[in-house]
Amino acid sequence: MTSPAAARTTAPDRVARLLAVIPWIAAHDGPTLDEVCARFGIPRRKLEEDLAVLTLVGVPPYTPDTLIEVTIEGDRVWLRFADVFARPLHLTPEQGLALVAAGTASQSLPGGDGEGPLATALAKLARVLGVEPGEAVSVALGETRPGVLEALRGAATDGRRVRIDYYTYGRDVRSTRDVDPAAVFAHEGAWYLRGWCHAAGGERLFRVDRFVDVEVLDEPVTAGAAAERGGRGDPRGFALAGRVPRATIEVGPAGRWVAETYPVDEVTPLDDGWSRLRLPVTAAPWLERLLVRLGPQARVVEADDPDLLDAGPRAARRILDRYRAG
Amino acid sequence: MSAAKLERLLNLTALLLATTRPLSAQDIRVRLGAYPDETDAFRRAFERDKDDLRAMGVPLEITPVPGVVPAVDGYRVPKDRYYLRDPGLSPEELAALRMAASVVQLEGLSAREGLLKLGGLVGEDDGGVGLAVGALPAGDVAPLFGAIAARTPVRFTYRGEVRTVDPYRLDFQRGRWYLTAFDHARGGERAFRLDRFDSGTEVLDGPRFERPPRSREGVQLEPWQLGEGEPEVARLAVDAAQAPWIVQHLGPGSVLEERDDGSVVVAVTVTNRDNFRSFVLTFLDHAEVLEPADLREDVVAWLEALVA
Repeated sequence: MTSPAAARTTAPDRVARLLAVIPWIAAHDGPTLDEVCARFGIPRRKLEEDLAVLTLVGVPPYTPDTLIEVTIEGDRVWLRFADVFARPLHLTPEQGLALVAAGTASQSLPGGDGEGPLATALAKLARVLGVEPGEAVSVALGETRPGVLEALRGAATDGRRVRIDYYTYGRDVRSTRDVDPAAVFAHEGAWYLRGWCHAAGGERLFRVDRFVDVEVLDEPVTAGAAAERGGRGDPRGFALAGRVPRATIEVGPAGRWVAETYPVDEVTPLDDGWSRLRLPVTAAPWLERLLVRLGPQARVVEADDPDLLDAGPRAARRILDRYRAG
Repeated sequence: MSAAKLERLLNLTALLLATTRPLSAQDIRVRLGAYPDETDAFRRAFERDKDDLRAMGVPLEITPVPGVVPAVDGYRVPKDRYYLRDPGLSPEELAALRMAASVVQLEGLSAREGLLKLGGLVGEDDGGVGLAVGALPAGDVAPLFGAIAARTPVRFTYRGEVRTVDPYRLDFQRGRWYLTAFDHARGGERAFRLDRFDSGTEVLDGPRFERPPRSREGVQLEPWQLGEGEPEVARLAVDAAQAPWIVQHLGPGSVLEERDDGSVVVAVTVTNRDNFRSFVLTFLDHAEVLEPADLREDVVAWLEALVA
């Protein structure tokens, strides 16, 4: 979990933290200061400062019995007369969402348990927030075939090579490859495997939902060839390093999503909601798809590879052949 | 922050929680005895304190002080809106939530403050699950989640039109958030893509809405089901190489026929023809709409226009 690396704790942050700490200490019989520090992520010195302030906090008329009483004996701390702060402040929508979304998403991870402590925690949390468990929020990190993610995670953790039966969407071919896994990660609704591909002799990125099958091999990953382990990445643009041919296409208003979805070098607005896009084309079928889907809303005006100029009509003809044969 | 400011904010919170009637700014100033004497300095400090309380999510309620003419703003914090109901999480449950929050995060939202309120940081921070998950976009998801929980309607502009809806649920699918909500003007449930909102989300003060016992069964948010047309069931043939993917994507229940060559025929319920055609064409010549005839004809006519 990342907490903002704040050089200074802001006033609301410090008050908010204390409003959570007070009821917890009050409800426990003399926890140790160290335990409070660990549980609430507070440096010891800060906690001692905060506790000193608490002795001045209470409700009118601010007589001793209406001020919070702080007792520190040895390493243990007790709070009395803190009834006004008997419960923590309610969860804000942001705080509730952060927990519910994380919990819901994690249930779908390998080892996620439909009945374990995470599931019961989410059910209890939902009741407190006023939503039905599993009804208000769902998070799909990415589609995978059963078992694939478990296998990849195991291989990545143990440093074992995998053999994947993979459908290359861009080139529209299915192949078997041996890969040394470096990282398995979810990004914008899809799972990816990053690793050293022995067939290609380089680091490659694979979309896990295109795996037809995966087999964990006995061979360990090759130390020399191994891609940098761990971490995440942004798959967009990953495969586009180096010399990838470019095409310039013009798309109509209905093709606005293209520039939002794929990496583009350049976008030039034209009249009537049209725009001109210069984009990398890793393989012809990828561009064919784009063109047949957009139909009259797209045209190729320029291409490094002249074959790409009539990619749309060519693909349309091929598909029509199938329909006419059928 | 100074100890004096910390003390004042805590005492202000305690005072507003403890009071049963709204207190005027002047009452608060006198009772707390912690503000500057000079009136302008007091006003500035009090405004800042109110902002700080709101930033923490303290439900500051402002109503006229009863029996005072002319009307004066009175402040209090209702206990029932301030106190967190105790979910009674066990240490194991707290640890499971912490682990989950260390793996999956929303951009700009920290789970830490929530965990502190629920009992603190228990267990390990790093799940060590061997899987990394990129932060999910957060956008307007939090206010919508708050409105779903509070059952209050929201307003936003979508496709150039102002919509007032009762929000039912949020789904993150294929990298995007969708809102399922009851659209007041249309009198029915609709799905909205959050990244297509033309405005921010305004949570309305209206009366709480009643949610139907269960919103749409197993919400399907496939693009070809985001239409207003009458549902029709298409039969789609998909070649062997792409068959595993389509079966995984649509679910095994969609398979009508498995052929010897490894290809499959699947059933797809369509309410948006344009999006369905677009989806079918991503398979290029590896898929074919078999039925109904007019959907098949729609694809053929589209392609013929492209060839001409």
